[in-house]
Amino acid sequence: MKMLVVFEKMGAHRFLGHLDLQRAMQRALRRSGLPVTYSQGFNPHLQLSFAAPLSVGIQGEREIMEVPLSETISEADFLAKLNDTLPQNMKAKAAVLQEDKVAPAMARMAAATYVLRPDEHFEQLMAAVPGFLSQERIPFMKRGKAGIREEDLRPLIYNLMAKGDTLVTVLATSSKGTARADLLFTSLCEFAGIAPPRCLITRTALLDERFVPLEGA
Amino acid sequence: MDKQMQARLEALLETVQKPSRYTGGEVNEIKKDWAGKTTCCFAFPDTYEVAMSHLGMKVLYESINAQEDLLCERVMMPWTDMIEGLKEQGIPLYSLESRRALSAFDMVGFTLQYEMSYTNILKMLELGGIALHNKDRDENAPFVIAGGPCAFNPEPLAPFIDAFLLGDGEHATNEMLRAIGAGRKAGKNRAAILRDLAQIEGVYVPDLYEATYHEDGRLAAFTPLDKSAPLPVKKRIELDLNEAPFPTSIPVPYTQAVHDRIVLEIMRGCTRGCRFCQAGMLYRPVRERSPEQLFALAEQLVAATGYEEMSLSSLSTGDYSQLLELIKGLNERFCDQRVSLSLPSLRIDNQLQEALVDTAQVKKSGLTLAPEAGTQRLRDVINKGVTEEDLLRTVSEAFASGWNNVKLYFMIGLPYETDEDLLGIADLARKVVNCYYAIPKGQRARGLKVVVSASTFVPKPMTPFQWAAQDTLEEIRRKQALLRSALNIKGVTFNWHDPETSFLEACFARGDRRLAKVLYRAYELGCLLDGWNEHFKYDAWMQAFTDTGLDPAFYANRERDKDELMPWDLADIGVTKKYLWRENERARNAEVTPDCRLGCEGCGLTRFEGVCRG
Repeated sequence: MKMLVVFEKMGAHRFLGHLDLQRAMQRALRRSGLPVTYSQGFNPHLQLSFAAPLSVGIQGEREIMEVPLSETISEADFLAKLNDTLPQNMKAKAAVLQEDKVAPAMARMAAATYVLRPDEHFEQLMAAVPGFLSQERIPFMKRGKAGIREEDLRPLIYNLMAKGDTLVTVLATSSKGTARADLLFTSLCEFAGIAPPRCLITRTALLDERFVPLEGA
Repeated sequence: MDKQMQARLEALLETVQKPSRYTGGEVNEIKKDWAGKTTCCFAFPDTYEVAMSHLGMKVLYESINAQEDLLCERVMMPWTDMIEGLKEQGIPLYSLESRRALSAFDMVGFTLQYEMSYTNILKMLELGGIALHNKDRDENAPFVIAGGPCAFNPEPLAPFIDAFLLGDGEHATNEMLRAIGAGRKAGKNRAAILRDLAQIEGVYVPDLYEATYHEDGRLAAFTPLDKSAPLPVKKRIELDLNEAPFPTSIPVPYTQAVHDRIVLEIMRGCTRGCRFCQAGMLYRPVRERSPEQLFALAEQLVAATGYEEMSLSSLSTGDYSQLLELIKGLNERFCDQRVSLSLPSLRIDNQLQEALVDTAQVKKSGLTLAPEAGTQRLRDVINKGVTEEDLLRTVSEAFASGWNNVKLYFMIGLPYETDEDLLGIADLARKVVNCYYAIPKGQRARGLKVVVSASTFVPKPMTPFQWAAQDTLEEIRRKQALLRSALNIKGVTFNWHDPETSFLEACFARGDRRLAKVLYRAYELGCLLDGWNEHFKYDAWMQAFTDTGLDPAFYANRERDKDELMPWDLADIGVTKKYLWRENERARNAEVTPDCRLGCEGCGLTRFEGVCRG
């Protein structure tokens, strides 16, 4: 069996790189004494699998990792023991016991929801949304293995709307294509003709191809 | 920090490299309420990753915070992008825990681990809102304290530091904090509190002394200005390590520290008497922690941190009296928990094989050996009691049990060194390679890697070589070139460093009070993070010497007379100058001095009551 864990990565933890987060989670699981599976060999380590790394600077409200178990344990026990040792702003919010045969979260992931909270120019940005979305192409430069090339952001944006004083967006996040929320924001600012203000970005959900959260509805 | 400044800091953190170095909030961080407490900020004058590898900080952090009336927070040297950001945003350098400016603490305590961190101290004081010179500090300013190995020659920092602690800090730091707290409560002024500090064993208050110089620059006299000031200042000793505090729960950094693991200090002090080694003279007598206590500490630390690796720390782990029992016990306890044990800097003249086989059960790291010199004659000069036979036996055994990675550490520029000794390094490396090929092909691990590292010798105060001249830069470069061509051997990699840093280290290691002017000038010229190659500005340092009219060669490349008054003679470390001179004479004759556990060699420590049986 494996445990799918929903956790937050909020506040100052948004500054942790993916490797830092992996180490922090591994050590938390070691402290917790939970029955998890280690790799073989001279440097045994926990085989954690994260659904999607989060860029440094972006917060996560419902991030997902999967932990292989060496014995079955109840979801409630797992959650309680892990939260006993996790630091503030990194708490686990849900645990879902899964058969090993369930496809990994990483493979099921198709999109993610983000909330963008700019420090200023909100009215201008909101007004620019319809025009921004009606563009046929939104070119951006992507650095890949074969160097820098131009790609189109438009088909990767599933939704973008204003809500309160924030912008909410659903972006493609899969092996077929991934749109970065910070890139979307700078594109929108460019379209609106303003210099990008500081903007706090929070990833709020990881979704499968039906736009259902990976942890289940 | 008010709300607006907090917001500016948040925005700044989004723009700097590795921001988690400046946020605190690690697992096991200790945050205490400030009300009614005497407060201390432990300041490490290098980056977070280096600081969080340092055991001493963790010891004092937990032991001070265990006191109800005291509190300890942490601060480290910010990287250049953060320094600029703090200045631009008008944010003072702040503690990780409560985000208060350094100037808000009663005491700011720096640890002096290496000379090349001195400019960082000045920068941290400036950023923290504390006057750089102690004479410019007002009644509300923190007391700036410094300890650690370099505090044993405190003179180059004398105008910047209020009080130095020479020796072990576990109890002395609390006493200093309480003297400051009580003094402030009683309304005493700064000068009076400094005199109180000078009464604590191990504390040196530089402003209570005066240094005068001969015309040629040598120290002429060193005199107390106040009858409350002791001379010499006796070093502070924790007599029983089992009674000394040791942390059981340490902050676990998010970003990777240089040494990111649990460190158990199994023993303090060393009686081998290697003549180049300052720590071996400074930290006598030898004191051990019992295996039972170490097992208990290790259990608590593993449970509290989740670390996957543990190492043993001491000056000479191979000399720990119950080493096999300790290693076996740790392996038994932690093998199932997948905590690996690494054993650094093992001397090579111990019966190691059993221990080596045991560690291999958990983790196979490289074998690191430090013969220090290439020939037996020069090893006798430096009193490194290791023979070629021992060394080759050790590597052969290691190769036979599956090792393929050996690191060999040497020094060049040692006193009485000849080119023959240098070529001996290459000779030894070749013999190590031959040991590997002597093991039949199927029985040895593939891919031999022998790394030979040669550092430049820095004569240190309070060692038998404190009188010696360091080789000039030209001579070191010539020796490096000689070694480079001699070490062109298949399977062997040679590492060396530019000698300029070692040259400056040599100046400050044996510097006097006047060097403070050079330090200040170098700081004005932008010297910073000198321990980091990319920031080391040798030309600016030389400019600082020129501008202040001092000659670096006077400090680094001059051989001293037997009876010259040394700036560090102000400290009594237990070992006497007479003993050090005798050892220097023996070095000249390549005469070995045995480990004093085999019989007292009269180093002088027995003068300290109850410290050493002799």
